[in-house]
Amino acid sequence: MAEPILEVRGLVKHYPLTTGILFKKQVGAVKAVDGVDFHLDRGETLGIVGESGCGKSTVAKMLVNLERPTAGEIRYKGEDITRLSGRALKAVRRNIQMVFQDPYTSLNPRMTVGDIIGEAYEIHPEAAPKGDRRARVRELLDVVGLNPEYINRYPHQFSGGQRQRIGIARGLALRPEIIVADEPVSALDVSVQAQVINLMGRLQDEFDLSYLFIAHDLSIVRHISDRVGVMYLGRIVETGRDAEIYDHPTHPYTQALLSAVPVPDPEARERRERIILTGDVPSPTNIPSGCRFRTRCWKARERCALEVPALAVPAEFRYARGPAAHDSACHFAEEKRVVPPAEEGAGPVQGPSPGEGPFAEGEGPSAGGPGASEGEEPGTVGPRRRGAHREDGEGGADGG
Amino acid sequence: MLLEVRDLHVEFRTRDGVAKAVNGVSYGVDAGETLAVLGESGSGKSVTAQTIMGILDTPPGKVTGGQILFEGRDLLTLKEEERRKVRGAGMAMIFQDALSSLNPVLTVGDQLGEMFTVHRGMSRKDARAKAVELMDRVRIPGARERVRQYPHQFSGGMRQRIMIAMAIALEPRLVIADEPTTALDVTVQAQVMDLLAELRREYRMGLILITHDLGVVADVADRIAVMYAGRIVETAPVHDIYKAPAHPYTRGLLDSIPRLDQKGRQLYAIKGLPPSLTRIPPGCAFHPRCPMARDVCRTDVPPLYEVTDAPSERGSACHFWRECLHG
Repeated sequence: MAEPILEVRGLVKHYPLTTGILFKKQVGAVKAVDGVDFHLDRGETLGIVGESGCGKSTVAKMLVNLERPTAGEIRYKGEDITRLSGRALKAVRRNIQMVFQDPYTSLNPRMTVGDIIGEAYEIHPEAAPKGDRRARVRELLDVVGLNPEYINRYPHQFSGGQRQRIGIARGLALRPEIIVADEPVSALDVSVQAQVINLMGRLQDEFDLSYLFIAHDLSIVRHISDRVGVMYLGRIVETGRDAEIYDHPTHPYTQALLSAVPVPDPEARERRERIILTGDVPSPTNIPSGCRFRTRCWKARERCALEVPALAVPAEFRYARGPAAHDSACHFAEEKRVVPPAEEGAGPVQGPSPGEGPFAEGEGPSAGGPGASEGEEPGTVGPRRRGAHREDGEGGADGG
Repeated sequence: MLLEVRDLHVEFRTRDGVAKAVNGVSYGVDAGETLAVLGESGSGKSVTAQTIMGILDTPPGKVTGGQILFEGRDLLTLKEEERRKVRGAGMAMIFQDALSSLNPVLTVGDQLGEMFTVHRGMSRKDARAKAVELMDRVRIPGARERVRQYPHQFSGGMRQRIMIAMAIALEPRLVIADEPTTALDVTVQAQVMDLLAELRREYRMGLILITHDLGVVADVADRIAVMYAGRIVETAPVHDIYKAPAHPYTRGLLDSIPRLDQKGRQLYAIKGLPPSLTRIPPGCAFHPRCPMARDVCRTDVPPLYEVTDAPSERGSACHFWRECLHG
């Protein structure tokens, strides 16, 4: 296989905890990320899932250099970018861009959409000649399904889904090879989520992008990812191709996580086994010895407290070629299917096959001219002036 | 029927004019039953709940019509003092954000105990003992010690348990849970939903679960009411709606969510955005986004038709429900 476009080895981020005002003394550390390894191949999507506090967002920030790692390497095309600075770093950062979670706070309210997206060209002037920039921004707006005429509008004139499109356009401005997306759809309503996910899928093909897709929603991660890494308390505990993780998980945490996800199928209520974990995630300042999951694990034995399990194919599966033979950091790994296989034709959720019925049309890149694509329904709520207060009216009505 | 909402209308005065948040909502819950009210932001699901509880901010909100019958009495005609008695002992609410719903400067014991000193006239000492009992009941470990702690000393899941403890303190007949697990991680969400279901069975409470999560609904609900732009667009027993939705909005929602148990193809995306409540489209409010819309949809507001083809009691506010059901 070709060299991965991004490779992360032994990545660590510890935030020191100090006492004293004048003479600071370190008394401990928040071990947000505590030894993470993964790679990302060109054109693929790696999904990182985990609950809040597992360190997935900190990993994202380190990849785009918003945080400096405490230790470890981030290799972009073989070169360790954690050691770079100045001009060389700037050149690399052009190729790794980020899409943020919250479309409400990640866009500067005092800048127009054109300036927000075009700002990238101020920092990297070589990416587009000066006279060409407005045209580039218009093109980008069109690409993400917004009307290019909206270039002079402000973020508050757009809905959440449209703002996330602006965030994506900004991420694309420098034609990066890698997009790090941290919970890009979790702030959006269900019906709008699908629009943005489909958009991201289309852009990946169009621009040959590699995605690192970080989310807590396991269904969305499965939908979009080729490979998945499951994080717990600063480490990846299991990683593999999507079917390996979802249909053949071997780590107890992954199994518990999957079994806890509500499936939109009432028939599954009876068919599914629920693993309800007890207790809460331990504090990252005080990580359990040995296996960090052992305090909540129903399989934990003495060995788990003494020995840190390595992230590798467990011995029992090593020679049995099959979907269970993937990396899992557990001393007592065993395969356990917790998501029952979907029954063919079990309902409309299966999705009708293309070209059948009114719901099959989906959305495509050929959604028409500017402004006519998915998110933009000129007849409904365009970001015109009166649309500007839409969120207010809605917010007031919903009462918080 | 324990609770029956009849043709409820609620409006808000905003800078942009009148926002019609609830436009003729009717639903009912029996004792021991779980009704899920499903909708996206701005659909009016929370406003309806607040109106039932009598905690709607007026102004800007205003109830402009309808009835809320709780055990046969219309709550909207009661005096505030009588309503307060219904709240707590008769019905209680669990909110999404436990941290901002709990008082940060009082210990959880004081807040739980307050239910008993105020409503039951208990002494502080007895109320404290009751508080410990309740915390045990919702399975907070070390209740005797933790009763003296403040909300910020608890994790998100534990805080939500305290909210639940507070809601069930007086053993109400109806509990309204507004997105009770949205702020929680999946493993904790499963714990909390489990607890809620168990308590509901034990006390034979009616439960109204307000959520946007189709997965949570499928797991716990008996019946569903789907809301859109302040109206109920479809109502049905939970098994039926997932098998064969009778409204294009429900169908679109079900088709637009990725599934855990299968690798996705292209997701169906409902085009456009939910309407502004100050400018709800004429006719069927969903028609600008509907793949099945025809002329009549643009002019005539569809009533909640009885879905007669189904064996169970179902309703759909679509002129072409039959087509949607069988299509």
